[in-house]
Amino acid sequence: MADLPFQPDTRGEFSFPENHKYDAGYGLTEATIDYICDAKGEPDWLRRFRKDALKKFHELPMPYHWAPEGIRDVDFDQIRYYLSHGVPPRKSWDDVPDDVKRTFERLGVPEQERAFLAGVDAQYDSETAYNNMREELSKQGVIFVNSTEGLKEHEDVFRPWFGKVIPVGDNKFSALNHAAFSGGSFIYVPKGVKLKQPLQAYFRINSESMGQFERTLIIADEGAELMYMEGCTAPKFDSATLHSGVVELVALKGAKIQYVTVQNWATNVYNLVIQRGLAMEDAEIRWIDCNLGSKLTMKYPAVVLQGRRARGEVVSISLAHDGQDQDTGARMIHAAPETTSNIVAKSISIGKGRASYRGEVNVLKGMKGCRNNTECDALLISAESRTDTYPAITVNGNSCAVQHEASVSQVDEEMLFYMQQRGLTRAQAMSLAVNGFINDLVNEFPMEYSVELRRLIDLEMEDSIG
Amino acid sequence: MDFPENNDIRLALEQAEAEHRLATATLPDRLCEDWRFGRPHKHAAAMAELAESADNAGTVTVEGADDALCEPDDDARDSVKLMQSIGSDKFLALQLAHFGKGVVLFLERSYKEPITITYETEGTFLPTTQIVAVAGAKARIIERHICRGEKAAILCTRTIMAAEGAELSVELHEEGSGASRAMNITNITADGAAVRHLTTHSNHAWAREETVAEIMGAKGTDVQLYSANRLGAAQVLDQHTRQRHTSGGSTSNLLYKNVVDDKATAVFAGNIYVSPGAHDTDAYQSNRNMMLSEDATIHSLPGLEILADHVRCSHGSASAPMDEEQLFYLLSRGIPRHTAQLLVAEGFLGDVTSRFSPAEQD
Repeated sequence: MADLPFQPDTRGEFSFPENHKYDAGYGLTEATIDYICDAKGEPDWLRRFRKDALKKFHELPMPYHWAPEGIRDVDFDQIRYYLSHGVPPRKSWDDVPDDVKRTFERLGVPEQERAFLAGVDAQYDSETAYNNMREELSKQGVIFVNSTEGLKEHEDVFRPWFGKVIPVGDNKFSALNHAAFSGGSFIYVPKGVKLKQPLQAYFRINSESMGQFERTLIIADEGAELMYMEGCTAPKFDSATLHSGVVELVALKGAKIQYVTVQNWATNVYNLVIQRGLAMEDAEIRWIDCNLGSKLTMKYPAVVLQGRRARGEVVSISLAHDGQDQDTGARMIHAAPETTSNIVAKSISIGKGRASYRGEVNVLKGMKGCRNNTECDALLISAESRTDTYPAITVNGNSCAVQHEASVSQVDEEMLFYMQQRGLTRAQAMSLAVNGFINDLVNEFPMEYSVELRRLIDLEMEDSIG
Repeated sequence: MDFPENNDIRLALEQAEAEHRLATATLPDRLCEDWRFGRPHKHAAAMAELAESADNAGTVTVEGADDALCEPDDDARDSVKLMQSIGSDKFLALQLAHFGKGVVLFLERSYKEPITITYETEGTFLPTTQIVAVAGAKARIIERHICRGEKAAILCTRTIMAAEGAELSVELHEEGSGASRAMNITNITADGAAVRHLTTHSNHAWAREETVAEIMGAKGTDVQLYSANRLGAAQVLDQHTRQRHTSGGSTSNLLYKNVVDDKATAVFAGNIYVSPGAHDTDAYQSNRNMMLSEDATIHSLPGLEILADHVRCSHGSASAPMDEEQLFYLLSRGIPRHTAQLLVAEGFLGDVTSRFSPAEQD
């Protein structure tokens, strides 16, 4: 299989010189937090809140007893916690600083916005550079701003849910995010409003040693529906960068939220993200997750099924190249009767890459008629690649059905032979086979993304021919 | 100047080594992943307390293998030293500290009749079983651990080694008194051999099983692990398995089934490990649970760690109530509900025993 060195997608690996008004320096202390609060002009309660979170962050242990080895290399003192141009988010691309604008143009964000998006939030290092939403949506009462503005302008909606789905003390990284958060989106969709087009956030790390701690809160009021997409890239520096976001979703009665992530960080980014959604009665939350980049990703999108008949779903694709560790998975907490959940995870390990599925399904005591189905499939492309599966399933009671199925396989030699015999090169045949493996999941992504995903895989195969 | 006999020095060293191991081995705590859901602060602590002050009183009976029977000697002790536990090194150390009781079988031929080993105790008993099958040996071994009385407990370490061409079928039946505790740590090494292993646990307040199967050697090595258990009252069964494929071309299969009633809890944590270079491995692992009451609890953690290519590995875990259709079929034929439930549960578990010994069913 030596003729198949898949190459990571490197289109995001460029950077512009730093030009920051605010720079909180390396390491996280109380002084750093004061600096961030002053720079953002935050109220006192938030300053106290951040400091309490910092204390918790120092107290809580690292999850060494189960986490992948690579997490030991994260050095919290070698990270810069706040970098910003010090300008508020712009509503027009013309007002965005030149280097930032050029960055997003190269990534094709404004183009996509014109083509099919209802709104865009573009974050550059610690702060949002551009935020805009179609006018008719604001008339309907939809709020789509960055988290700083959300706290300032919409405190009455934001604050009651802030840190409720993922509490400060949930784990070390949630405490870290609560202490240092900046950027991310705040979305509120009023009762019965159904967004036809997706909202998008784009996260960009431009500076070396930067730590990005975005904070996203999405509230879909009763009967509301929305799709949110996030994309991530960063240039590759000599020193590691850290992305540790927190995403909280709240789907009230009958609401539907779809959250799509396509993560393509450079291969020295530690991507340690906590994503959790709360689904009330009859609500539905779907996480559609694609991990292509980063050095180490630890991400387990969760749904807490809090109301009767709530439904949760996680669809996940991960691709682990040489030197990458994709530790992804899903969590489903059935905290109400008649709740259902579905997890479909597919991973591909290439070269010396390692892809893992780590999941938790928990049906709490007394919850009747709950159902879960979990499927994990792994594809190994070469002799040195590695794949792991670590599910944990807890079921209480005698009226719930939970099933889990996982398999590991490789591309069938006979299949490759068949295609090669009909004139395809080995790389083309391999590309076709890999596309076939993830085909049913790729269809779950919005059309523009699925086209992009397919192209990405083809591109990687073509690179390997020459 | 008088030097002690060489043997005495060796014994003193052995003892010092065992004491050191016991002193340095720590009990599993709540952060120990191998005891996840096992409530180590409660169960590991209780079992260790019993084992530390054990009277080690119990009877050992062996039938059907007079020519193969040996005493647990220094070689046996050495192999206990090298055993792998799943998060329970403290218990291996405790076993070594009490080493001396048990059975060593050295099988050099084919045995037509089954060999039976029985351990029976009313106190706390720490026997060790060692089964060595040389190339070409064949045997069926039935091991029973019986606890009588309220406070009885048994902690057994077992090693099963099978050389090329050997065929072993080993059953372990743990029988309790309702309030008793049982724990066994089993290491199976199959080197070009075929080993079938079945465990059942009945009527223990708490039971833990740790089975590590090392599947190595020439092509055609095959290890099959089975377990069938029926749990009631507030019983806890904590089962941990490892299928370690260290060389290619071998197969392994695991099927663990539990019927869980009342307030009982069943924990299953399995892992298939395929080491780098162990290509063409075929491994399967399946955990099935039938839940009969509202207070029954299941924790299932099937795991895979694959570091080789060209492997076929999969696992499945399913937990569900009894199939209403099967019950209805029996009810409609006039069988009372309770009897019908027993029948369905029996059929569910009987599947395991019939797969374990297909010949007997014919």
